[in-house]
Formats: sequence, C-alpha cells, structure tokens
Amino acid sequence: MDGPLSGLRVIDSTTVLAMPTAMYLMGDMGAEVVKVETHTRGRGGGGGVTYADNIPPKDSHWNRDGSFHALHRSKLGITLNYKVPETVEAFKDLVRVSDVLAENNRPGTMDRLGLGYEELKKIKPDLIYFSFSGFGYSGPWKNYQGIGRMFELTSGVSQFTGYPDEGPRRVGSAWFDPPNGWMAVFAILAAIHHRNQTGEGQWIDHSMYQMGVSTVGDALLDYIANGRNGNLMGNRHTSKAPHGAYKCSGDDNWIAISVESDNQWDALKKVMGDPEWASEDKFGDVITRWHNQDELDSHINKWTKDFEHLNLMEKLIEAGVPSGAILNPKEVLNDPSMKESSIFEKLEFPAETGMGTRVFLGRPWSMSDTPSHIRRPGPDLGGDNEYVLGNLLGRTETQINELYELGGIGKKPEPMDKPGTIQDFAREVEQGTLRSYDTEYKKLLGIGP
Amino acid sequence: MSKGALEGFRILELSTGVAGPFAGKLFADYGADVVKVEPLSGDEGRKLPPFFKDHPHPEKSLSFLYLNTNKRSITLDVKTAQGRQMLGYLAQKFDAIIESYPPDYLDTLGIGYNLLSQINPNLVMTSITPYGQKGPYRKYPGDDIIYEAMGGIMYISGAHDREPLKHGHPQSLYIGGITAAYATSSALFSRISLGKGQHIDLSLRDVSAAHHHATPTRYSFVGAVERRAPKVEAGSPKGGAHFEGIVPVKDGYIGATFQRGIQRGSYSDYVELLNRPDLDDPGFPPIEFPARIPNDKDELLLMALKEWTKYDYFNKAASESWVAAVVQTSEDLVHGEHLNERGFFSEMEHPVVGKIKMPGEISRLTGSPWALNRATPLLGQHNKEIYCDEFGIGEEELVQLRRQGVI
Repeated sequence: MDGPLSGLRVIDSTTVLAMPTAMYLMGDMGAEVVKVETHTRGRGGGGGVTYADNIPPKDSHWNRDGSFHALHRSKLGITLNYKVPETVEAFKDLVRVSDVLAENNRPGTMDRLGLGYEELKKIKPDLIYFSFSGFGYSGPWKNYQGIGRMFELTSGVSQFTGYPDEGPRRVGSAWFDPPNGWMAVFAILAAIHHRNQTGEGQWIDHSMYQMGVSTVGDALLDYIANGRNGNLMGNRHTSKAPHGAYKCSGDDNWIAISVESDNQWDALKKVMGDPEWASEDKFGDVITRWHNQDELDSHINKWTKDFEHLNLMEKLIEAGVPSGAILNPKEVLNDPSMKESSIFEKLEFPAETGMGTRVFLGRPWSMSDTPSHIRRPGPDLGGDNEYVLGNLLGRTETQINELYELGGIGKKPEPMDKPGTIQDFAREVEQGTLRSYDTEYKKLLGIGP
Repeated sequence: MSKGALEGFRILELSTGVAGPFAGKLFADYGADVVKVEPLSGDEGRKLPPFFKDHPHPEKSLSFLYLNTNKRSITLDVKTAQGRQMLGYLAQKFDAIIESYPPDYLDTLGIGYNLLSQINPNLVMTSITPYGQKGPYRKYPGDDIIYEAMGGIMYISGAHDREPLKHGHPQSLYIGGITAAYATSSALFSRISLGKGQHIDLSLRDVSAAHHHATPTRYSFVGAVERRAPKVEAGSPKGGAHFEGIVPVKDGYIGATFQRGIQRGSYSDYVELLNRPDLDDPGFPPIEFPARIPNDKDELLLMALKEWTKYDYFNKAASESWVAAVVQTSEDLVHGEHLNERGFFSEMEHPVVGKIKMPGEISRLTGSPWALNRATPLLGQHNKEIYCDEFGIGEEELVQLRRQGVI
C-alpha cells in the first residue's frame, strides 16, 4: 500500500504559497498531482532564490531553486501556453481523466479561457472544481486581491498580536498561507466523499479570509455576547501567569514558560531555590500573579538569564513546569525529537542537477499503514510534457512536436529568466536579518561532508 | 436540513481543549455525525473563557460554544471498567476517533488503537499530542506558547531587539485542528483501497514547525539561520526605511504594501493613490523589490497615511489592485458587510444562552454546503438518544449506569 490518497488525480493550476502547499501534500500522500505552468512566464520568485550551497547553477537555473522544490515536490509538471488553442483542448482532456481541478487564478480568468466550472462540468460532470481566492466569489470585496501575510490583519488575529506598548504585528511568515492549504485538502476530500456517495461533483468557493476568521470564532462571540474587542497580548495569556518569553544566557536565546496551576507555580519556586520575593502575597495565587505580571516577569528574567536555554527547559520540565526553549531555525532542524518524527525529510536530487541531498518540510503526522513521503523533486519546467500529453492523453509524438514548434509547450522559459542573485550572508548578518550562516550545516544534518 | 458533504461519516471525539474539538467541528459542520464523549465533569474546554455575559458556567463558555457546533454530547467515564466496555461497544459503529490523551494513556486503560482496531478494523484513530507518540519529548507538556517556541515560529517573530513574540490568540491550536481534520479525512479515504482503518500520530509542536517552509530550505541549502529582522515594520515607533507593514491611520491600523497585482507598483502611483501627487519626486528612482525607500520619504508617507481612515484606505487601495489589509477588530468583523453578505453568520438557538449569532462557513462547498443544523450540545444532552435509541441500552440500565457513575 502506498500513500493514503493513491488513486486520485489532481490538476494543480495554482501559484504562490497556500495552494501549492495543498497540492504537494496531496502528492506526498500519493495522489498523482499534475502541475500546469506556462513556459512563457518566469518561474522566478521575485528575486528570492535559494541555490544549493549558494553557488550559481551550471545549467537550467530555472529548475534549481530550492524554494521551488520545497513547494512543488511530489508533482508532475507540464507547460501549457493557452495562447495556442490546442493547449486548451489538452487541458480539457486532462480534466476528463482527473478527479480534481484546483486553481487560484484571478476570478474570471478561467471563464475567459473556456475553462470555468460550468464549461468543464459539461465534459466531466463529477469534477471537483476548487477555486481559491482571497475573499471568495461574492460580496463587496470579491474582487480584492488577498495574500496570506495580509490576512492576519484582516481576519482579526492582529488585534491580539503585538507588544502592548507598540502596536499590532504579524507573526511567522505569511501566517494564513499554509493553514489555508491544509483546509483546502480537507475541503477537497470532503467533496470527494460526497462524490463517492452521490456521484455528484461540485464547485468549491474557498475564501482565505473566511478560513482566517474561523480561527478567532471565540473572539467574535466575545464581541457578540459581551461587546468586547481583542487587546494586544504580547506573550501573555488570558488566565495563566507567569506566561512569556524569558531571556537566557548567550546571544538572543530565550525560553517560554507557561504556568497554569498552583502546583506548577510551587514547582517553579522550588527550581528557582525558593527566593524570598516569590513567597510574597502578590504572587500567592494565579489571580494575583496575573495582575502583577510586570513585576513577576522581571524577577523571573533575572533568574533565567544565567541559564542556557536548552538545559533550563530540561530542568524545568523535570520539575513539573511546562516550558519550551525558543528554538532558532538551526536548533529546530537539529532538535533530537525531530529525528523521530516525519516533520523533516531528506530528498536526494539526481546527480546531474548538482543539488545533492537536502532537507525539506515533511508532515506533522504519520500514519501507521499508508506512509507518505516526498515522491520526487519538483518538476523541471515542462519535464512531464511527454508523459502527460503522450501516455495520459494519447497525443502522438508528431502532435507533441508540433505543439513545441507552435510554442504551446516548452521546456525553457521564453523569454529566458535571469538567474537569481547569490545571497550575501555576511551582509545579512551585519544587517541583522540572519543570526548566522553555518559552514557545517551539511555535516550536522547528515547530508554531506 | 441540508445534506453536508461528510454525511455518512460517524466520528467519536474524545478530545479536549481547542485542537481536537476544532477538528471535530470541521467534520460536524460539513455533515458528519460527531459525538463528543465527555468525562462526567465535562470537557475541560467548558471552562475556557470568555463566557456568555462574563458568567462562568459549563454551558456558557463562548470558546466551547464555537468549537462544538453540530455535535452531540454523551458522558462516559472511560476510567471505569464498564465505561471502557461501553467505549468498545461504541467504537464498533464509528468510522473515526479523534483523541488527545497523553501517549500510552488509552493503551493503559485497554482502549488504545491496538485493541479498538480488533473490535473494529475499519476504525481510523487520530491521536493529537504535544510531541507525538515517539521520541524524547513524548511525555513533555505542551501548550500554545510552547508549540510556537519549540516549532521555531517565535524566534523569527517580533522585534529584532526585543523578546520573540507569539500570536495573541492560540493560533497553533486552531491550525492543529485543521491538520487533524485533513489527516483524518485522508486516512478515511485510504480505507477504500487499504480495506481497513489506521492510526494517525499527530504532534502539535510539529504542526507549528510545518508552518515555515523557508526554515529547512534555507538551512539545508545554504546554512542560513534567520532571525527577527530589524526595523521591518514602518509602523514601529522607531520607524524604518522599509515601508511595508502595519501602519497607523486615523482610526486604527492598515496593512500597506507596494504590491500591485502581482507586480511591484511604482512610488508615483502610490502617492497618487494617497491623493498626494505633491509627494512625487521625478528624481526618485523607481521602487524595486524589496521596497526600500529613504527614511525621509518613509516619514512623509506615514504622515500622509495618518489622514486616511482604515476602510477608506483599504477600499480605495484594494479596488485599484494594490495589496492592502485592515487590522480588523471583532466588532469590525461581526458588522462587516462582506462576511454578512457572504452568509458567514447563522443564528443558533441554544437552550441556555438563547438565540446567538454564530460565525461559520470556511470553504463554500456549493453542492453540499456548510450548515448550522444543531446547536452546541449541553453536557450529556444525547445520552438517552445515543445509548438507548441507537445502541439499544434499556432506560433502566441507563439509570443504573448513571447511578454507578459511568455516565
């Protein structure tokens, strides 16, 4: 038995971050995902490329960006330039033999090409047609463009997020992109279940905005029932205290501590060596601790600052105090617990690419009987034109060659993309956007000398 | 009642807090029959603030009301021998169990996956824990801040020269719920070819780590270790020569970018958007990614934006294809025309809190839509319906079980 979704075929006509994430996950899980691109538009990520070992690739630079492979692994790849009418027919033939079409083109684009739901339903009545957009296909904001990192604001999460003395902030990068991709997988599978039960396909109108708002449903009810809006919380909690990020020894090392019960507080006091301040009445119960957090936090910071963050975590947990080191990216990747989970996965690239073996995000779960894994690197541009058009759709070699000549399909960007720029790490460290750049990363990860 | 897409699936939810119940809610809202199995004292989630009219009460937690729509509730003490027997009996008729007990706990009670799958080989069991069922941290405690810390999100978030920052709302738990929902659906789908159910081991810390693609890619390709960047938000008190971020306006905050469509817009067009062509400067070079502009221009733009209200800016910028956002409050969201016109809210009639407006639909499955068919259940509201009417337990036996503290 292969992955849990083997047997499904999915057309991936999506870009950016959220939907490519949904699509590679379905690919990791064994669905056959066909990514449809055009060779007439650049593949570049707007200047941000990651080439292996920061060395310009010897050839085919458009197939060598690490961030492309992170988002498009486990997929087949074809190029269709819809300006050549035959490619629209090829797309329709692909729809005929697929279960799902996922797209995040701007509303109206697919209709103009004759590839809207109403049209495709005629040739494939049980098709699941998943349209992904910022605000959905109805309502006054339907034509507004939405991107993942902006939805933290509009969805209501930023009203809680930020240092209280400063203003709202975003957290992580593009917060609502990956969860929207995950939600898309759920919605697509729900529609597949419905199809399997009833024989009916359907159109799904997925709005990134609504997915974001769904994660603050309790806050909306707080307004509906109590007339209350959110406050900037910093790292604090509505009822736990102490609860926050505390400074540890070394440069920019921190620990998160989260104390909910009196037992945990007693345990923390004990680890700290029962300092006098901790037995004051103002820290006597969770309510007074919560109200005196500024002072509480300043005491705790004075204690934590002499400890190494990873050691302190072990010490606190052993004592019964919930805590976690604030791991930097290097520590996350080298964390001992990650080695036993499926969250990171090594992928060996073909020798001719010169890309070696690298580590990508895997999945935060594992299944006992149907293993998921990265099936293959991201497709070369047009790399599966022959397989998909020939083997899957029955085009002859002559027909395929004709399509190449007409510019309907291609394997090289036209016009040619400029190679991405090599990163200047020393400058980034100086500017402070990088903590460091490592020279031993391959050795540490076990992917090279 | 409209038919939801997941009609036909039966899910038992032995889960507490936010992540498991949110996963269960997604199934229930899209039509599955989700039965919440609560301990006699109720799901711990019933104690989560905020409360309706700020009145702490097991039926009035707003978080609980939100996370448990469309479900039914039964009580069962799985620590008693009879309770375990009952659970085994229930498990025969269900497709999936979503649980969030500590690793090994259900095994110790004799109702872990290995045993239940003998009773019902088709059963899918999704176990949600802080660090998964294996590995050195498997017994470590976890909560929202710990997941954002250990998953690497906090380290890269917040100000360069301050402590790392988490979300002010437990986002890691909600995205954990979404993950549990799609993983469970995938395993349910796999039964068609596998011919049986299986066990899913899900780690909430790993869900947080799964959020950031760039971390493994940048480190394993080039050895780069990111940190919180200095002065990225033009709206911070220290200002910054990098105009893109959360910016204060007359009545709140907006998200401003130079992105227009999929391209970078020009500075000239941007000052035109602000109705401030006087800020244009023909000698100023076109703005390229990343939109770095000199500090004095940054200041001028910030001042110009101060003249705008958040929705005036958002509506104008967005309708002219600029990527823009508004920091919306709960009040803004509840009254927002867009969500209301999209039918995002439904009214729920609840026996204790009465009529209440509920947020709802995420993905619009036009052929088998989301629907609020059933109010959030009271503790044990469906004991009789499920134990007696569906599982054939006599009413007297039910009374007996209640007296023995099993239900």
